[in-house]
Amino acid sequence: MMAAKRKVAKKKVAKKKAAKKKAAKKKVSTRRRSTSASAPVQVAESTDDVQRLLKVLCDTGKLIDVRMAALQSLGAAAFSVPNFESVSADYIAALREVSTDSHEQLRRRSLGILMRNKDGFAQKKLLDGLKNPAKALLPPEKALQLLGNDAHAGAYSVARAIVKKPPNQDAKREALRLLAADVKSAPMFEKVLRDKNELRENRQLAASALHSLNPQKLQQQALKILKDKSDYSDIKATSLTALEQFGDDAKFAKDKALMLSVTRFNSSKTPAKYKQSARRFLSKYDQ
Amino acid sequence: MNVELQINNSTAPEARFVTWVPSPCRIRVTDPSGASASTVSVKIAAVSAANGGAVGFRSGTTGALASSLTLTVPTNGTTVPFFVAGRFGQPSTKSGDVKIEARVGNTLVGSSQLMVRIRKNANKLTNGERDRFIAAFAKLNNQGLGRFADFNNMHKASGYSQAHAAPGFLPWHRAYLLDLERELQAIDPSVALPYWRFDQPAPNVFTRDFLGESDANGTVKFRNGNPLEFWVTDGTPGINRTPDFPTSQAPPNPMKEAQTLALGSQFRTFRGMEGNPHGLAHTSFGGSIQDPTTAAKDPLFFLLHCNVDRLWAKWQRQNGRFDPATATSFDERPTSRPGHKLNDTMWPWNGITSPADPTRPSNAPGGTLATSPCVAAPGLQPRVKDCIDYPGAINAAANMGFGYDDVQI
Repeated sequence: MMAAKRKVAKKKVAKKKAAKKKAAKKKVSTRRRSTSASAPVQVAESTDDVQRLLKVLCDTGKLIDVRMAALQSLGAAAFSVPNFESVSADYIAALREVSTDSHEQLRRRSLGILMRNKDGFAQKKLLDGLKNPAKALLPPEKALQLLGNDAHAGAYSVARAIVKKPPNQDAKREALRLLAADVKSAPMFEKVLRDKNELRENRQLAASALHSLNPQKLQQQALKILKDKSDYSDIKATSLTALEQFGDDAKFAKDKALMLSVTRFNSSKTPAKYKQSARRFLSKYDQ
Repeated sequence: MNVELQINNSTAPEARFVTWVPSPCRIRVTDPSGASASTVSVKIAAVSAANGGAVGFRSGTTGALASSLTLTVPTNGTTVPFFVAGRFGQPSTKSGDVKIEARVGNTLVGSSQLMVRIRKNANKLTNGERDRFIAAFAKLNNQGLGRFADFNNMHKASGYSQAHAAPGFLPWHRAYLLDLERELQAIDPSVALPYWRFDQPAPNVFTRDFLGESDANGTVKFRNGNPLEFWVTDGTPGINRTPDFPTSQAPPNPMKEAQTLALGSQFRTFRGMEGNPHGLAHTSFGGSIQDPTTAAKDPLFFLLHCNVDRLWAKWQRQNGRFDPATATSFDERPTSRPGHKLNDTMWPWNGITSPADPTRPSNAPGGTLATSPCVAAPGLQPRVKDCIDYPGAINAAANMGFGYDDVQI
């Protein structure tokens, strides 16, 4: 009995190995094919068309361009095909299937659509990949960006860990973006915004996050940045925009030090593209 | 002597905006001093600023527009009607860049500054037009909690069937864009919604100064100082958008304008444009604009749809399809679900939710449609048929108060 079971298990392993070999062959061939010209994109008009396109999408024997074109057609069908909801479960199942495909572009797109539909399967796959890079379907920065479609406590803890020890700067930026929905992260964003050693792109993002999480704090920090002669022009332009767009006009009109700082910013060696923010601000107060 | 000019029959500054459609105006004597008779002959003409808009006049509801008009105005304060319209091909670039002057003889007795406010190609906006538009949009979004949140919510999954895959697709989105545009105009009246011609290259649109530049990861980047750097939706800052085409070129898949206009002379065939070019314009990108339920998170969505509406407007003019009572102007079907028949009111502006009608969503974000100080249509709770005769070609009262730079009326 045991021997028979072992024999079956061996056969299963052999079958799996053969399947893996076949898949690996396909991976190579599809990668080669991906350089071919774009396939024409057709528009689905009915749920039958959708079913046909789903088969093309999942067919690993087809050229990747043909499968990507099918995905684009399916996306358009989601906007316009009557009764699309009757095939949406099949659509989601197909997207899950191709989310582990050998082609990264297809994984990116399918996981993107799934995450925008707040799909639990995709969310788990992406979180698992961030915790264990060997399992990752996408680079960490893309996974974090997609997780931002359905941010929650589980994703926040992973994002916090990545901010502390980022695998690359893009991943840190996307982790910060994800945390912008987390109220507890407001003090961290305040720190990032004021840190002159931080990447300016991250400081710009911190201003946006703080505007969302604690707008009063952003206004306070923006005022400080504008009055700080040693801070950078681009961050000052961001701060000015925050004040001009969302601040208390009456209060600013009485702030002589602010007006002086902005006038100085406008007349100094500031690049022209940022001076525009100063001019827009000053024109509000007839300065 | 002094006269008062009432644009759109109003003295309010926010009503001093016209399109290609003649706007009803009035003139009256407010100070008759110096008048020796019971009436006075007043000549009105327009003065345009450099690169400013141009207008023409007529005294009645029909007839050609003239560059000046002489009106006999009673000195007792009674109003006299006239009409003013933008000259096709000469829209304004900023508020008040056209001035109507009223003269008795050579004496200036009154004036009013106005704007020929027209929806334009986003790729051709002046820097000023672009900057005013994005500033107003950022204000509407404010923290992701501003009025824009309603527009984002209107286009989510629950409202999908109210607006898509059915005959009401084009009228619903016309009302949706107009609602948003009026909210932008409440912030800055000089703003008109621009359109993204997805069948032409639009390199000026996908820049850090306008709708942003996508990096390899699909994160959209803005120049510091572009107010859209503070864009937030559903609690998350920023925009995700990955173009599948070089943004110096047009996306390859959506059909061209000429092909779209040749989809047939009946609305029931023309509305096939919902799949192509509309759907394929959406799916020329990865990111939120790719999916119906998240598309409205990206400001580009509104420029894409403005072009969809422009194509419909152009098709309507080409085929004379403004009369809702004519079968070729709409695809009326007894089997269409509520919200997709001519006499149906449209969600969410009608406030009808699932407890009252199970075919409607459970909530109705945003309330009634925003009003305009310039026109009365399409009303607070527009019906499908209220969104067809947008220039008031059949019924002047149906004029919705918008126009396109390349669509004559």
